[in-house]
This record gives sequence, structure tokens and C-alpha cells, in this order.
Amino acid sequence: MTDFTWLIGGEAGFGIMTTGVVFSKIATRSGYHIFDYVEYPSLIRGGHNAYEVHISEAPVSYLSPTIDILVCLNKETYEKHKNRLTSSSLVVLDQDEFEIGEDIKKIIIPFKKILVSLKGQPIMKNTIALGASIGILGGDINELIKLISEQFVKKGEEVINFNKQFVQAGFDEIKKNYSDKILNYLVKKPGEAKLVLTGNDAFALGSVMADCRVYSAYPMTPSSTVLTDLAAWQEKVGMVTRHAEDEISVINTAIGSSYAGVRSAVGSSGGGFALMVESLSFTGITEIPMVVFIAQRPGPATGMPTWTEQGDLLFSVFSGHGEFPKIVLAPGDNEEMIELTAKAYNLADIYQLPVIVMSDMYLSESHKSITKKFVDEFVVRYKVNRGKLVKNPSFAKASEGKLNYLRYKVTKDGISPRLIPGTSGHFYQANSYEHVEDGHTTEEAQPRIDQVNKRAKKWATYLKNDFSLPMVYGDIKNSETVFVSWGSTKGIVLQAQKLLKTKGTDSAFIHFNHIYPLDKEKITELLNQNKKYILIENNSWGQFGKLLTMETGVEIKERILRYDGRPITAEEIVGKILNIKSQITNKS
Amino acid sequence: MSIIQDFSGYNPTWCPGCGDWGIGVAIKQALIQLGLSPSSVAAVFGIGCSGNMNDFLNAYAIHSLHGRALPNAIGIKLANHRIPVIAIVGDGDCYGEGGNHLIHACRGNHDITVIVHDNGVYGLTTGQSAPTAQKGFKSKSTPTGILETPINPLALSITSGATFVAQSFAGDALHSIAMIKAGIEHKGFSIINILQPCVTFNKINTYQYYLQRVYKLDENYKKDDFKTAVQKSLEINEEKFPLGIIYQVEKPSYTDQLPQLREGTLVDKKRFTDFDKITKLFI
Repeated sequence: MTDFTWLIGGEAGFGIMTTGVVFSKIATRSGYHIFDYVEYPSLIRGGHNAYEVHISEAPVSYLSPTIDILVCLNKETYEKHKNRLTSSSLVVLDQDEFEIGEDIKKIIIPFKKILVSLKGQPIMKNTIALGASIGILGGDINELIKLISEQFVKKGEEVINFNKQFVQAGFDEIKKNYSDKILNYLVKKPGEAKLVLTGNDAFALGSVMADCRVYSAYPMTPSSTVLTDLAAWQEKVGMVTRHAEDEISVINTAIGSSYAGVRSAVGSSGGGFALMVESLSFTGITEIPMVVFIAQRPGPATGMPTWTEQGDLLFSVFSGHGEFPKIVLAPGDNEEMIELTAKAYNLADIYQLPVIVMSDMYLSESHKSITKKFVDEFVVRYKVNRGKLVKNPSFAKASEGKLNYLRYKVTKDGISPRLIPGTSGHFYQANSYEHVEDGHTTEEAQPRIDQVNKRAKKWATYLKNDFSLPMVYGDIKNSETVFVSWGSTKGIVLQAQKLLKTKGTDSAFIHFNHIYPLDKEKITELLNQNKKYILIENNSWGQFGKLLTMETGVEIKERILRYDGRPITAEEIVGKILNIKSQITNKS
Repeated sequence: MSIIQDFSGYNPTWCPGCGDWGIGVAIKQALIQLGLSPSSVAAVFGIGCSGNMNDFLNAYAIHSLHGRALPNAIGIKLANHRIPVIAIVGDGDCYGEGGNHLIHACRGNHDITVIVHDNGVYGLTTGQSAPTAQKGFKSKSTPTGILETPINPLALSITSGATFVAQSFAGDALHSIAMIKAGIEHKGFSIINILQPCVTFNKINTYQYYLQRVYKLDENYKKDDFKTAVQKSLEINEEKFPLGIIYQVEKPSYTDQLPQLREGTLVDKKRFTDFDKITKLFI
């Protein structure tokens, strides 16, 4: 079965990112699945960029420990990644630019000479590298030419033809000098149509499907591409995106538009979200629906902007002053991102509260292919549910300044009817002060208690109607080891389970994506079996473990935590499990 | 046609003699004279004595956080650009805590009307100095006199891109009504800075103080000339307070420039369902 990793690296600012996406798309158009990952510093020029693509015949959602084809546009690429090469790996380089060790299988492509002879810009090294990569992998050059033509269609025939030459030159070098080394890893095979999406793309797509009409944001890595996606699509889909002056304005713009009756969302990373938090509490008391997308990166403060971490979980769960209900979701992959994003908009409307969708750089910026069929089927399955939004109110109209409509009416489920501003014959205020049922300010004790209880009831209603238990992969009964994790680690832990299985170890995996609130009884039952539970998180505190303890009283003592800005790997998990096992064997 | 009772909520809790009384009446009168009803106007209130008008004025309203009324107002306008949106705010609210929002609301020429109660103090928190307090003003938070020079809200708005900038005096209700009406009728960002004596905490900028220093712009004043307007606005630095429309020009508002709003409002449009138009970008 085809399963390999291709990595291209070079200086930042030289088009590595775009090249990587093109490569991923060629792979999916040729019938394969991909998962890719980028490493880059927080710089526009200078520094090192690396883009790796894991290609497989089966769906894939993790990185491989080894690199099969390493395309080095500079020497640093080789130095940084040579420890992941195997005896059969191929390294693509230009020996006119730098030399590497003798015992490596090299594919020499004269990038520099080709650039000079075809009068290309240095950035076009990438285009040559793509041609050469497709050549060595036995791929279809026409697929690549087609994709490049699509990419430059707006720039005209001349630009397309100019680029074609570089693709062809790279491809021809392989045909001419390495026809005996062609790997046939990318031979075109039939397969269903796939989308190459990042987690951010999936959030943007899910938002459009859910009928989000205002998205407000301020650029912040790694969340920014949600804004750029939606800004690019806004006229087509009929929504408005606003790049406001700061994150406080971002969320307050969305509060205004949501109040006025349209589905609205905001997005940022932890730092930007920190600025929004006072206003999150404002959505809590005014009961204005709000979807908040948080793509985490390592903090505190500016931290490591272009790297990954799950360090903002507890901050998100407990964000906002005062006591008000919110819902936190954390999708594990693109499919879950689309489903849970669309669900988030429904939950925000049904419960009239903020719903946070958590991602991180690893999920937000890695591409993972999903089948178009999944999306098509989801579109049919998904129903927009706006909860208790009242279109044609039957209650008596206001007269001589007296309100008959009760925006904050105390109800059994904690949810009150919501009117769209502009509805004639009525009016109401969304009040950031504590209020009586009709919205007017109060400081009296009883209405305060009534409203606090009313808001809190929404959680109970949610747990009963819309909370989903974690997914369990594998059989808890027959496993010694049970992994507990949340969000973006899903694909990695699933791969670790597979690797353990090949070593004769059965495991189970409890994957949480409905993070908060939690159903205490049902969760406790899952965590109270006589098993070795291992918590896996991309942070240093084991934040989800702390949340579980807080909510259920269960404490998971064994933990695998990573907090160096890199994603956890399946191999790391397997290594630790086997290590623990051998320690136990030695003791006995 | 609405009557004043339609707009009247709870009885105001402002101090007797407070300039807010005049502003409150002026706002209601302006709305009535424009033919609006509590159902056909959106109001966003900041936090402060001015913002407390939330309970006294009936409308589709948000009583916002301190400083955040402007982005709320912008958001309402994005969702429903056919409803008039007014923001009722204070000087600390709009020029202090929310100063950044003011600048950018001006830049965007967002079609909202901002009515600022400018009394130089924080009334609701019992009299600390506001960004418009004159240098040297002594208050609880500046016992030896404020070191900063005051914000010039008129010059700030004009140079930030506002297309309607006016000033009125809370002691002159008729003129305030005219300014508020003109602001709401103006297409684009409008701001009315209303000079408002705080009888409890500001013993300097009293009714007497303003009566001696305000004057109305004459009919020949060229309100559409940027340089003239900037110059005029600088007079308040010398404690001379021109009343009237200091600056007004016509420019497309923010929502005017969004092709996706040409057919109708966001809140009224049909749901987009042609998802293949988006998914094809990822194949």
C-alpha cells in the first residue's frame, strides 16, 4: 500500500507554503489521501520553512516519523531533517548550491542552471521542484500542469506557459537522468473526489453551511486564514466579514449583528480571545448567541506564534467574569470540525449563549483530505435550528411605552423567546446590567436570583438534549490501557493504537470533543473502570485532566504531555507505553 | 406617528438639573419628528449616567459595556442597514475606554449616529476626570489637577474620517434636537458632541460657564470644507465652543460599499446553499 512522506524545505518567503498545497492537491487528484503539516517561524523573510505531506491510499491524519523524499531548496532543509531519513530515502538537491554526505541517495536537479537558462525568479525553484517530485514519484505531469493553469488562470495564458516550462524542466531532469529510480508512488488511480482542507478552512466551510452571515476578526496566527477565506467568499455567499480595529471591537461587532438577528462569529488565538473576554461575559448576561473560534498557539503572551499547543483549554472553559453558561467544543479533525462548527451555530441559537470551538495550530494549519461525499451528505443531514427565535409574535403589542414582550422570561428550560429587532409593535433591550424579565435594569434580590437560575438551567437542558458523550475507539473491556484525550490529538492517538496493536497491545481511546459542560454521571462511569488510564495532551499542565477531576472527581495519574510547540507523535506514545510495560515486567 | 409616551420608559434617575435631562428629551423629540417609533430604531447605550438612559428610552436597544457601544452599533448596521442606529454614550465611554473604536468608526464611515454626553467627568463613578476635562482640572482621581491635555473630539472625528461632526449644548434643547435629527438623517458616520453640565461633580464647566462661551455658527459657515472645519474645531482648545454642524460631506457609507448588501439586508436575505461554489476551491 502506498504510504510515504514528501517534505520540501527552503528559506521563508520563497513560496514553500503554496508549493506544499499544490503537491497535496496533486496527490488527492491522483486518488490518494493526504495529511500535511507546516513548520515556519514568525517571519516573512529569512528563517526556515518546511512543508511535509504524508500521502496514503487510506485516509490519514498523522505525520510519519520518516521522510521518503526530502526536497532541499537550501542546505538547512537537509541539516534540519536528515535525522528522519532512512536508507531508502531520496534527497533532491542542487549540487551547484551545496553538497551533502556521500552515503545518501541523491537526486541532483540543477535548479540554478534551469533558472538562469529559462530566466526565472528564484521563487520558481519550487515549480521546478514540483516537476521533479512528480517525476520521481511516477505521477502524471498533466495533472500538475492542469493545477498550475488553474492557479494562474486570472494572470493569463502567458504566465501559465511561462510556469509550465519550469514544471517540465524539473520533470525532464528525472526522465533523463533517473528513469531507473522512479518510485511509482503517485501513479494515478481511481478514487472519489476529495477536498484538501485545513482545520481553518473546515471552520470557514462549516460556518457558511450553518448560514453564518457576519464574521468579525483581527488577524492572529494561527486563526487568520478563517478571516481570509470568508473575506474572499463573502460576496459569493452573501455574508459580511469585518476586520475590526482590535479584538474588543471584533466581538462587539458580532454582538451587534447577532442581536440584530443574523448568525455571527468571531475568531482569534488565545491572546486575541483574552481581549474579548469581558464581552464574552456580556453575551452571557444579554443571552446573545455567539460562536467563538479559538486556534491555540503556545503562550503565555506572544509565546511561539507559529507553533502548536492545547494550552488555552481551562482559560476558555472559565473565560468571562461572573457566572454564566457557555459550551465548549473541540473537534478532532476536519470532518468533526465541519460537523461541530455547524452544530455550534445551532447550539448558540438554541441556548442563546456563547459556544467556543477550539482548535490549535496543528489542526488549524495542517491540510487533511476529506471526501467530497462527506460534505455533500452533511449538507443534506444538517438542519439550521434557530431555537426560540420568534418571527411572527402572537403576544400583545406594546402600547404607550408599556412592554408586553418578555425577552428574559423565566422558563422551565431556561430559554426565553427572542425577537428580531425591527419587528413592528414591539421593542426590548439586551441589557448588560442584571435585569427583570422585560429587560429593564434591576438590583433587587429576587429577580436577580430568578435570572441567575434561568441562565444556569440552559446547561441542564443542553446536557439532556444536545451533549454528546466522547467517542470510544477500541474496546475498553478488553484493553489494559485506555487513552484519554481531546481535540486535535485524535489522529495521532488512533495511529498510536494501530502501532500498539502490531506489537500485540490492545488499547482503547476515549476522545472528547464536547468538552464543557460535561455529564458527570456518564463520564465518571467511563473513567471508573479498573484500567490503566493515560491522559494525552499538548500542554504541560494536563489541563483536560484537571477539568475532568473538577467535574467528576476522577484523577488520571499517568500522563503523556508535550509542550515544546510540536505536536505529540504516535511513536512517542507507543514508546512510552512499551516503556511503562517493560518497567512493570521488570518489577514483577 | 409616535408620541413622547411611546418612547418613555422608566422615570429618569439623573440628578436634578443634570444636562442629561435636556439630552434625553431632545433625543425623543428628534426621533418623533423623524417619524420613528420604538420598533423602528436601534439604540446602543454605553455605561455611565448617559448610558442609564437605556431604561428611560424605549427602542430596540443594547445596554452595552463601558466603551463598546460603537462596535455594537456597527454590528447592528451590518446585519440590518435599513434601520437607523444611534449610540448614546459619555465622554469617558467614547473618548476614553472606547477611543480606538471612535477613530475606526469614523474611518469606516459607518452609518451610525453617535450622541456624546460631554461633561468632563465620570459622573456614575462619582466624579473622576474624563478625557475632555481641561488641563489642571482637580478631581478625586487627579487631586493635584489632571496632567493630560483634553481630547478634542471634534478635531479627532473630522481628521479620522467622520462625515458629519456637530456640537450642541444641553441647555439648548431645540438646537440639540436639530443637530440629532440632522445626524440621523446624514448618510454615513455622524457624531454630535453635546456639552453637558454635570451639576454634582463638575463645578467648573457649569451652565454659566457654557452660556458665556458657546456661540452658534452663522449661515455663511462653510461646513463642507475640511480645513475650515479643522480650524473651527480647534477653537475649543481656547475655550470657545462653536455650536452647529462643524463638518459635513457626502461619501459612501461602509454598507453602501458592500455589493452583497445591494439587494437587501443580511437579516432578510435567503440562506446561501450553493456550497459547490465553495468546495470546488479545495479540490
